[in-house]
Amino acid sequence: MDLFKLSTSNSRLKILNLFLTDPNRAYYLHEIAKLTSISAGNIRRELKIMVKSGLFQSYRQGRLVYFIINQDTVLFEAVKTLMKNASVSANEDIYGQALSWVSKPTASSLPKEIYCQTRDIFLARLQSFAERLEIKIGTDAYLVAAVAGEIGNNSFDHNLGNWPDLPGICFASSPNRVVLADRGQGILKTIRNVRPQVKNDARALKVAFTEVVSGRYGEKRGNGLKFVSSVVSDKNWSLRFQSGRALLELSKEKKLKITEMPGIIRGCLAMLKY
Amino acid sequence: MTIKLYKFGDFLISRPAGRDAYLSAKAYLLNKKADAIELDFEKIKVLTPSWLDEFLMMLKKDYPEAEIKYRPSDNPTVISSLKTISQSP
Repeated sequence: MDLFKLSTSNSRLKILNLFLTDPNRAYYLHEIAKLTSISAGNIRRELKIMVKSGLFQSYRQGRLVYFIINQDTVLFEAVKTLMKNASVSANEDIYGQALSWVSKPTASSLPKEIYCQTRDIFLARLQSFAERLEIKIGTDAYLVAAVAGEIGNNSFDHNLGNWPDLPGICFASSPNRVVLADRGQGILKTIRNVRPQVKNDARALKVAFTEVVSGRYGEKRGNGLKFVSSVVSDKNWSLRFQSGRALLELSKEKKLKITEMPGIIRGCLAMLKY
Repeated sequence: MTIKLYKFGDFLISRPAGRDAYLSAKAYLLNKKADAIELDFEKIKVLTPSWLDEFLMMLKKDYPEAEIKYRPSDNPTVISSLKTISQSP
């Protein structure tokens, strides 16, 4: 495999970024598709090349074919180094970067340009982002900012003084998309403050996006994520929102779909495509 | 009585900012008694339901008898926020 071709394939960069997050973990095809937002066909093609080169190995378990990065090949260290330098940066793969950040068991640092330790930093960057975006897409930029504002502020509202490890959020943007993530308590834990009977992450996400309920005990509010859902549907945008093991997808077809994911993340991870 | 919300900024996003804005409005803008209070969204760029909810919740608590009116706006965030707030019980 020509390593120098790595930087020309955005799909390959995303796949490698996912596997390098935890090199001991194997994934099956549709799992990779979900986590990277790349079509299964593209992933199959990229993996075929990388399996052939020896960088990846595949094996069958039941009905599924799993792929795992081969740490014993000399290519592994070379690719790792290349990926560090290959600008899997905020501009190219902000979702992969945020996913990697919330997937790790212990907190790692984020590039300072996408890390907002406090709400003040987040709001200042959000305002600046919205004003730049307005030049490109007009007043819809304000709706993008309002949606991102609700998601980002939710992270601060529910974790202030109670962050499990690293305080603050990831806020990054690239053309037509915004990514927000936090390593907070996640939706299930906050919803259980007021709905102790909620069983799992999937149910907690459903409650958070469809019912007016606030995870902050004693408060009569909780409109934020309903607003997010309503705007995304009205504008024909799409949203991926993951918390714990559950992934909520709101598609352009206005369908709300919640699926159980094989991997767990800390806190929340959201990507808005507008 | 009309409250021009742009006096609190044109990006009205977070709950703490909504709370601060209301406390300031109460101290400097609102009369002790009011039959009707109108919110004017002119010059607002971004409004979220969280900011508005925080502001309205305290306003309604302090002025339970007052009629709260909203001046029409064509800002999409104002329209969407008012729609969301109006749908909550």
